Amino acid sequence: MSSFLDRAHTVAPPGYNRFLVPPAALAVHLSIGQAYAFSTFNLPLTKLIGLSKSVPDDWTLKQIAWIFSIAIVCLGLSAAFFGRWVESVGPRKAMFTAALCFSGGFLVSAVGIYTHQLWLLYLGYGVLGGCGLGIGYISPVSTLIKWFPDRPGMATGMAIMGFGGGALIGAPLSTYLMGRFATATSNGVLETFVTMGVLYFVFMMLGVYAVRVPAADWKPAGWTAPVVANKMITKANVHVDVAYKTPQFILLWIVLCMNVTAGIAVLSQASPMIQEMFGSRVTPVAAAGFVGLLSIFNMLGRFFWASMSDYLGRRTTYMIFFLLGILLYALVPTTGQMGSIVLFVAACAVILSMYGGGFATIPAYLRDMFGIMHVGAIHGRLLTAWSAAGVLGPILLAYIREDQIAAGVPKTEAYSLTMYIMCGLLFVGFLANLAMRAVSERHHFRETASAHS
Amino acid sequence: MAVRLVLLWAAVGIPLLWGVEKTLENAIKLFQ
Repeated sequence: MSSFLDRAHTVAPPGYNRFLVPPAALAVHLSIGQAYAFSTFNLPLTKLIGLSKSVPDDWTLKQIAWIFSIAIVCLGLSAAFFGRWVESVGPRKAMFTAALCFSGGFLVSAVGIYTHQLWLLYLGYGVLGGCGLGIGYISPVSTLIKWFPDRPGMATGMAIMGFGGGALIGAPLSTYLMGRFATATSNGVLETFVTMGVLYFVFMMLGVYAVRVPAADWKPAGWTAPVVANKMITKANVHVDVAYKTPQFILLWIVLCMNVTAGIAVLSQASPMIQEMFGSRVTPVAAAGFVGLLSIFNMLGRFFWASMSDYLGRRTTYMIFFLLGILLYALVPTTGQMGSIVLFVAACAVILSMYGGGFATIPAYLRDMFGIMHVGAIHGRLLTAWSAAGVLGPILLAYIREDQIAAGVPKTEAYSLTMYIMCGLLFVGFLANLAMRAVSERHHFRETASAHS
Repeated sequence: MAVRLVLLWAAVGIPLLWGVEKTLENAIKLFQ
């Protein structure tokens, strides 16, 4: 088993079709993307004892909300801490570890549900599952970039699209399973956790089995590296321990953080936002449909924008995210004043496509700036920007909305100020992206010298 | 190799398409 997981046993034979590798990455990302659908468990977890309604011994929604927050924080931390390990052991062992952690998280949580011990859910889905999210998220990135040196954006876009799409499978699957397992004495959550733990483990094993790394001297048939020098695409490598101290890493951290903060703010409040802005014209069921629609655009944007970045360049792609983003966020309050649901939905859909696009384009941007050697590990450290944005975005939107309502602003206009603040954040991201320059040669890795010279 | 390619893409594509279909079923209610 150990040798099957080793990097040496994953080297592809000559003539291997590289399009066999993206589905392996997708199998992992579609599984761990279930995290975006965790909210489907929120209400059932508050009724484990009362079943039809919460009773005093049941857990509260506030207590349950911590499970997802812990998972997202552990995602960022594990990606940052295990990035170098993932690079050294290769994608197969990393994916296997991610599968053990993610599925193990479900099973430990199931024990927590059975014994009604909330800390086991924090430890299970939160800590263990969160580590599975982080390791699984970065595990196929550098492998895909090596397989597709001609289209790195498209390749990573394909995999990271899976993380966006995971919620589209996870939400209906968990709802279906809970309905199927519900009895007079159980609401089916326990059985659903066990089933999903097993199902996702099997599905992730598909990725473990199928993933391959290219031989060291492999390149796509008929492809030669571009000879025309592009200052924004390095041919050198930067060591991960050097990369995170460079101004380019800090600028990219700001770029990702600002882009994610703005997008995640809309995503986290999408349902109440559309209902409050358009009043009785939007029912809760329709608002749930709106959230689903945004998830589809979040997923499609990952593939579309990352693929486009291969032609437009990474910096130009992020320029579009920030400038078009500022325009659209500024337009959102106007769509509410106009009473145009179609325009509002269209603006939010494009915003969410660029939110997903920001995630999917960043690995290729890192490859352009720091080279391929430690791109997975550098990507892992950059994902701490996601953790920060995951806290900043929703809090900003929720607090400012509450302040606005307390100040007497009608609910239909309570989001206007937040949208303008988001424009400001995007402008900060725009400036950081504008300041991006090639990494200085003194940071480049030289094999004969120490880590850097 | 071609059969393996089709099987692998089907294994990830079919669940994803199922999820998209279920999501669109709900999303359509927004415009009804």
